[in-house]
Amino acid sequence: MSTSVSEPQAAPAIRIADVCKSYGDYQVLKNINAEVARGEVVVICGPSGSGKSTLIRTVNRLEEISGGGISFEGQDIHAPMRASELNKLRSRIGFVFQSFNLFPHLSVVENVSMSPIRVKGVAADVAHDKALKLLDRVGLADKANSYPGQLSGGQQQRVAIARALAMEPPVMLFDEPTSALDPEMVGEVLSVMKSLAAEGMTMLCVTHEMGFARDVADRIWFIDAGEILETAPPEEFFKNPRHPRAQRFLADLRH
Amino acid sequence: MIQDFITIIQDYWLLLLIGQYPNGPLGGLANTLILSALAIALAFPVSILMALARLSKWWFLRWPMTALVYVTRGVPLLMLILWCYFVIPLWTGADVPSFLIMLVTLVIYQGAFLSEVVRAGIVSLGQGQMDAARALGHGYMGAMRFVILPQALYNMIPSMISTFVSTIKDTTLGYVINVPDLTFAASQVNNQLLTQPFQVFLILAVVYYILCWSLTYVANRVERRIARRRAGPRNARLPAEAAPLKTITEQL
Repeated sequence: MSTSVSEPQAAPAIRIADVCKSYGDYQVLKNINAEVARGEVVVICGPSGSGKSTLIRTVNRLEEISGGGISFEGQDIHAPMRASELNKLRSRIGFVFQSFNLFPHLSVVENVSMSPIRVKGVAADVAHDKALKLLDRVGLADKANSYPGQLSGGQQQRVAIARALAMEPPVMLFDEPTSALDPEMVGEVLSVMKSLAAEGMTMLCVTHEMGFARDVADRIWFIDAGEILETAPPEEFFKNPRHPRAQRFLADLRH
Repeated sequence: MIQDFITIIQDYWLLLLIGQYPNGPLGGLANTLILSALAIALAFPVSILMALARLSKWWFLRWPMTALVYVTRGVPLLMLILWCYFVIPLWTGADVPSFLIMLVTLVIYQGAFLSEVVRAGIVSLGQGQMDAARALGHGYMGAMRFVILPQALYNMIPSMISTFVSTIKDTTLGYVINVPDLTFAASQVNNQLLTQPFQVFLILAVVYYILCWSLTYVANRVERRIARRRAGPRNARLPAEAAPLKTITEQL
């Protein structure tokens, strides 16, 4: 082992520094400062319209920012760079959408194997085998040859998770992965996410599932009106939230 | 009366089918079909490029293409044909055959119409598909090639067939610049017979009708099939799924 620790290894998985974003006069994100350490599971919670989704979409630059910077493993993802460089960075950040966004013209196994083949240049048969393994892992090996339109919402979201994992990203972002699901399907998606967390995946999740936050998160970011008002471990956050707005948010949840 | 039709067809079927070929240029129905097929085959890739230009973030691609599409859709095809007929030889300085002029005109005209279908197809997919592709690390062209266009173009197949039908009908306008097509051949027959315009042009109408009707029939079949496949086996019997596609086809 080399004694000198190289910068990227020492850097946190994600560092958000002074991030601002506005649409015209409306400021969506105000001076966000936060970090996600490697292997950490962070849940972002807060009332709707608080900027949670916008924040998580800036992390892989699906949204641009107006000020500040976001580094992923020490690399500034919002720096001016060639499109190919940005694509490479993005391919290493898994992203799961609220609305699944599976590719409806491709079978389930093709959904999972297409990007490794086309983006990373993995051989088709290797990518196919890997995809089948991932589908097995999310409990959908028997649906490999189905099309997304034939699956339930929960199944589609599990495929979407497998699709993101196929790129072997060191970090996974989840943008309200269970909000578009029927209640009885929330559990199957959460359990896949739990097992990912248990394997040590670095995760940043926007979710309204407070049970998941309590059980799985290492840290909670409470965000309201574009500001991070409180970051705390879940037991502390749920027992005695410090910020008055966090107290009100939790009180509203209990009703 | 019936005898007239049979006599005309017996005497002139070869002229109507291939024109004066091999003693003159290829014409008649064969030329109509070749012209339509070439026009649609070229208009298809052209329309994709036009649609991508119209959706481009670069104004120097978007503005001229938007102008071209608006102008092309806003003038009668006959005007465009005459325009090309007089302008293209002026620009190139060469004696361009009327077939080629007609082909260029049809490609521009149908390309402009199809580009709106392509654009609608791309836009209707929504931002989610593009976001998903980008998040997985695909570049813009990769996302278009592997994710967006396969879906948009597949949905477009019925509209393409409809455009093919209207292209066949549009080729008749080539008559004004002496493109030797089926209409041209029929008019030659009429000029030789002089006394039977009704019979001659009825035969012409029937041929066009059979051609276009059968293609429309194919388009409808394909349309229903796509709607069924898109619904997936679970809701295969929901007829409502067919509705949105239908409206696109009928606009053309």
